[in-house]
Amino acid sequence: MSDRALLEGSEAIARAAVASGCRFFTGYPMTPFTELLEHMASLLPEVDGICMNAESELEAVGMAWGAATTGHLAATGSTGQGLSLMQESLAEITNARLPLVVFNMARGQGDYFQATRGGGHGDYRHIVLAPMDVPEAVELTRLAFELASQWRTPVMVLGDYYLAHTYQAVSVPSIEGAAPEVPDWALNGSSGGSGSAKIISPLGGGVEGEEGFDLGAHYSACAAHIQEMSVGVDPLIDIGFCEDAELVVAAYGSVGKFVRYACLRLRDAGHRVGYIRPITLWPFPSQAVHDAVASAAKVAVYEQNMGQMVEDVRLATLGAVPVEFIGGPSWDHSGFGIGPDINVPDISERILEALT
Amino acid sequence: MERPVSSAEPASQAETMSSGERELMLTGIGGQGVQLAAQVIAQGATAEGKEVLVFGSYGGMMRGGNTDSTVVISDQPIEAPPVLSTTWSAVLMHHQYWAPLSERIRDNGLVLVNTSVFEDELDAHRYQVVEVPATDMATDLGNPLLAAMVMSGVYGRKSGLVSLDGLVEGMRRSVPPYRSQLIEANEAALAAGWEMAA
Repeated sequence: MSDRALLEGSEAIARAAVASGCRFFTGYPMTPFTELLEHMASLLPEVDGICMNAESELEAVGMAWGAATTGHLAATGSTGQGLSLMQESLAEITNARLPLVVFNMARGQGDYFQATRGGGHGDYRHIVLAPMDVPEAVELTRLAFELASQWRTPVMVLGDYYLAHTYQAVSVPSIEGAAPEVPDWALNGSSGGSGSAKIISPLGGGVEGEEGFDLGAHYSACAAHIQEMSVGVDPLIDIGFCEDAELVVAAYGSVGKFVRYACLRLRDAGHRVGYIRPITLWPFPSQAVHDAVASAAKVAVYEQNMGQMVEDVRLATLGAVPVEFIGGPSWDHSGFGIGPDINVPDISERILEALT
Repeated sequence: MERPVSSAEPASQAETMSSGERELMLTGIGGQGVQLAAQVIAQGATAEGKEVLVFGSYGGMMRGGNTDSTVVISDQPIEAPPVLSTTWSAVLMHHQYWAPLSERIRDNGLVLVNTSVFEDELDAHRYQVVEVPATDMATDLGNPLLAAMVMSGVYGRKSGLVSLDGLVEGMRRSVPPYRSQLIEANEAALAAGWEMAA
């Protein structure tokens, strides 16, 4: 018998988070994020971690921020609605240079701008990873914690109802094993023999005459760091059949898996379609998109929204290829992001229309 | 205990996707064990090292409402998204909500029907129909709620996708601790279905 297990997306992500060293999680229940919170509440005590059911998303992100300053790997999350409430803190956490993983189990794909541009103040960006299914979500959850630690920045994993509630066979990430060592910059209640207080703040810190006291210098350093991330973080993208494609279809996340499947079946039927599925939404894999569509006559972008990622595709292609939006919002009665139009025949039909 | 292996040739002659993926859609009404049957088959296939995907949908009602589930089993990483428009096979526990599924089964698809309660016509020319009096068999075993386990046993053998050992392991992984007293009866029901499919 195999050591793999059939896990719901939420549980697989929770296990991957704990296996990656996450020891603090907090959130406020909201479909389709709730099960992730429940699984973290069940798993974290097993490794002496802490999971808190917050009174609101504001409190959740505040506690996660506090935990992150101690150098322990922390995470929070919600749906896009809850993420709206967290935006101020996400902006501040970015400027405070703290690692934090944020899970958005979004309702549909209306949160692309929120995720990639951010709704907080200031000139910030953070890394966004968009898995298409459960096995990829396990990998990207691990990557999210690695990148958060490496770059000392918030990293968002952008999922949805389909990801949270689909069961797939995956290798079970072991939650045994020690959490990573606490880094030097962490607050631990002492001054570390320096005689002066340690400060971690979105406003820099330190005392007059020391590095970080000058706010302008701090903001400039933050900007330089974001610039460094924008070129230093490896852009990830899934590309198929673009070499001879007349039409290349772009999509991301769970919807990207539907589009990918539609393209594979259309290929079986002899249609010259290819697909691109950006996995890092920030930094956007612009060069790879540009190169992949170079010989195509047209690019079609399918999203479960009014058209958001289509702007990044247009920026990546810079007018070299016509870019058409073929998606659209689609809701069932629940409002949880299950889209009646998100099915292979309807998507295939839109692709074929774009092909003609 | 010595157990027969899966039959080599699955009953469904429906076209398989180029990926080699086999799809199963189950339909019934809440309380019949549709979600549990999907879990048992999927957990069994997982235990045997297959790639598996399951996506279920069910109304708010525990009893009587519509309940459906989709299972995809493959030897390769699953290409299929969670919602599918066509299927290689189907398990029909009840007729009430089966109409939308009828169009989704590909020609010559394997269709297991619970003849104890199913009251609609099935086109035997279009599907490979396997009639299973699952609720009657379950009642004979002492509990009509075992019907989904009987069906799972039949499905494992007819589809060639999961062995009886796999189904029993899948059932053990699916039954919550507070229902552990039902494991023996479930195992008997799986075996009865498996025998019936010979």
